[in-house]
Amino acid sequence: MKLGVLFSGGKDSYLALQYASQDHEISCLLTLESEKEDSWMFHTPAIEWTKLQAKSMKMVHLVQKTSGIKEEELTDLRSIINSAVSKYSIEGIVTGALASVYQTTRIQKICNELDLWCFNPLWQLPQEVLLNELLSSKIDSIITGVAAEPFAASWLGRQIDSTCINDLLVLKESHKINPAGEGGEIESFVLNAPLFTKKIVISKSTKHYSNFSGKLEIMEASLK
Amino acid sequence: MRLLLISTCHEKLSEREFVHPISKILNSAEHHILHYRECTSDTIQSFDKIIICGTSLQDNEYAENIDIFKKLFHDFTGSLLGICSGIHIVGSIFGGKIIQNLEIGMTEAETLKENEICNGKFEVYNIHTNSIDKLQNFTILAKNHDNAQIIKHKTRNIFGISFHPEVRNEKIISNFLKI
Repeated sequence: MKLGVLFSGGKDSYLALQYASQDHEISCLLTLESEKEDSWMFHTPAIEWTKLQAKSMKMVHLVQKTSGIKEEELTDLRSIINSAVSKYSIEGIVTGALASVYQTTRIQKICNELDLWCFNPLWQLPQEVLLNELLSSKIDSIITGVAAEPFAASWLGRQIDSTCINDLLVLKESHKINPAGEGGEIESFVLNAPLFTKKIVISKSTKHYSNFSGKLEIMEASLK
Repeated sequence: MRLLLISTCHEKLSEREFVHPISKILNSAEHHILHYRECTSDTIQSFDKIIICGTSLQDNEYAENIDIFKKLFHDFTGSLLGICSGIHIVGSIFGGKIIQNLEIGMTEAETLKENEICNGKFEVYNIHTNSIDKLQNFTILAKNHDNAQIIKHKTRNIFGISFHPEVRNEKIISNFLKI
């Protein structure tokens, strides 16, 4: 089946892509660039660098700007999916939805209206399992956003390795955070992974941080 | 207790979404997972409890193969729970008829009759294009605004659930295991 993957550049959408690519042809990656940082539907930090990830994976990449305003985003989502259907004849959509009924309900409705299959291969996956899957699948990702107490600025840019995962699991116990960031506590960006032909190297970045909330702005990056 | 999960997914990728979450809920309860096309009548009869898992909104292959399920379960005497596509299969085996009925999203369900697996009011996550009608052999245990959400065979431990209990209603699965 020809599939399009809703791709934010983070660990979840990458892992969903990797699972889907085992049995299906990935025709294109679909990215919505939200103009609002607190988009209801779409992960935002480092989204402009998804183009580098797509280049490394040698995949067709469709990008569409979206206002980030609740429900208006859905019109933009439908529009980019429609483009993928007409340009690449996709028969289904893959998402990295883990537990958000809000997100998945809306995507399922759009897919149903467009007569497309909808695959959510991470659905209900326990967050600890997902984090460990990143390690066993050799997915190299970093934290690009934090939005919960007690995350300090030092978390920004941190590689999601076994030490980081252990620290996230400690915060799960002490501060009730979702260790994989399902509640928006952390955002991530994949630098290297099995589907990449070259890894992404960040040569210049800056941190924006205040009161347990921040993001890593990638200013220069290249494929090596 | 020998416990079997049956996949109705035409696409293997969908099993991550509709079978694996049920397997996770079963947790320490030892269980096997088979696709329905891998099953024989003898396989089915070797289990005490069986859960038929749901599938994707676009997947209607199972509905074209109801006769396969009728043969598989003809001599089965254990406990059976059908989820989503599973309720259509369970209902069809016992005289029901699959009808088109699209539901996507959360609604509130209300228990109509005291029973072993649910009680009171609870939020349910539905994602299906079909429902089951002509339920003369079943009692409706719970319903939402206008659809049966949980049914039970009038004389046997055979249940059907229209929604996905793996989302916010894991206890219903646990309760079925205790029967």
